[in-house]
Amino acid sequence: MPPLATKRGQATLPNLFGYETRQTHLCTIMPRQITKIALLTISLFLSAATVFGQSTTGTVSMSATVSKFVELNSGGAVTLTGNSGGGVTTDGVANSPLAVSINLGELGPSNTNSFVFAQVPLKLRSNAAYVLSMSATVTSSGATSSRIVAADVGFGLGTISRSGTGVNTTGTDTNATSGDPTLAANGAVNGTSGRYEFTAVRSNLSAFSSATTALSGPIIMNAVPRSNANGLTVPAFFAIKPQFFENGTTTISVTFTVTAP
Amino acid sequence: MMRLRLVFPILILLTVAPSVYAQALDISSGGQPTITGAVNGSVTGSASVLDNLVVTINFGEVSPLNTNAIVKVMVPIALRSNQPYQVSVSFSGLTNANAQAVQASDVGFGIQNLRKLGGAGQDCNQSTHIIRSPFNNDPAVTATVGSNGRVSYGSSLANLSGSTIVLSGPELSKNNSSKRQQSDGWIFDAIFTLTPQFFAAGVSSTTLIFTISPGPNVPC
Repeated sequence: MPPLATKRGQATLPNLFGYETRQTHLCTIMPRQITKIALLTISLFLSAATVFGQSTTGTVSMSATVSKFVELNSGGAVTLTGNSGGGVTTDGVANSPLAVSINLGELGPSNTNSFVFAQVPLKLRSNAAYVLSMSATVTSSGATSSRIVAADVGFGLGTISRSGTGVNTTGTDTNATSGDPTLAANGAVNGTSGRYEFTAVRSNLSAFSSATTALSGPIIMNAVPRSNANGLTVPAFFAIKPQFFENGTTTISVTFTVTAP
Repeated sequence: MMRLRLVFPILILLTVAPSVYAQALDISSGGQPTITGAVNGSVTGSASVLDNLVVTINFGEVSPLNTNAIVKVMVPIALRSNQPYQVSVSFSGLTNANAQAVQASDVGFGIQNLRKLGGAGQDCNQSTHIIRSPFNNDPAVTATVGSNGRVSYGSSLANLSGSTIVLSGPELSKNNSSKRQQSDGWIFDAIFTLTPQFFAAGVSSTTLIFTISPGPNVPC
């Protein structure tokens, strides 16, 4: 028997309950059609929105990087005392790169002062914990052990000051030197050799033949612009006791370096 | 009959769709964003007012290694609507626990230069567009150094609390086009600034979402 044709042109299998079967079939078809049409409608609706390309929101993403930063500048003018002749050749200028040149003058017994003493103000700034290291070379024209050597040049760092707007005052700085090398506690005449010696820890330049930590501490600056001129200031002391050194000329070169480990 | 019953809703929906989406409320790029004063920074975004607003700003280095006075970014944003509108902004991220790191208050944010986007931008004479306080400023101009030495601005991201309305006004578009067009709305400049400072080291990031929605019912 050929299949029966419905009014919609759909084929149904013949059976004894044709009417009921056709009804069941229509009930099955209708939801499918509705589903298809609904999907088509949604699709068209959504595509309409897509074509129009409009949106009620937009995004702006942003990022910024803050790298560790440290700087060392001059903290101001150099002071030189106890000198006989000599003077400050190139003075320090506050907040400018440190480039100081000092002529210590006469260091033989004709200079009757106790010490030739130079103070070089330093200014440090950082947005991270810092380490100030120093290295020094001492070159004399003399040829004997009585020439001026690194151990004859006293060195130390003085009082550390963190003050002014924008300077972080929390935390503790560690001075690895013994401070003012001319203090009685930091040096004396060697009872055997008779030579004056700077004996305290890191109190003379022989301790800084290679880069050696002189000062360290926590972050120096709060979040303020670089135009803020405040910072950590500390004087660097250099001292030489006039003695019967071998005559000649001596050149002392000191390099300070600040880092943020 | 069945077909007619189904076709009618479809036609109605298709008729309604354009009016719902087109011109009702729309926010998009307003042009090429720009950046100045940056070191290793950049800004990316579409120059076309037909594109969505998707902008990525990299302020770059903002420690004192950047010796410029300020890093400034201008982001043009286009708006279209056939009804009163409001623009709100929210942001997420930028939650640095260290007070010396970059905070929301360190990112200046202001709105300036509200202007028509071409001839089809709507001119309303009964209501004005209002840049909500305190955002009506150029933070590069209003930047000042506070008593603590830190730079502050006339307004910043710290002035955003949740979804904050920054702009509102009457309808923006003359026509009722079903598509974004080159000249059928208004544009404003969102200005972001960051002053290089002794911030605590690190990388900071945040995302802002600009949303346009129906605003106070003001006449055109």
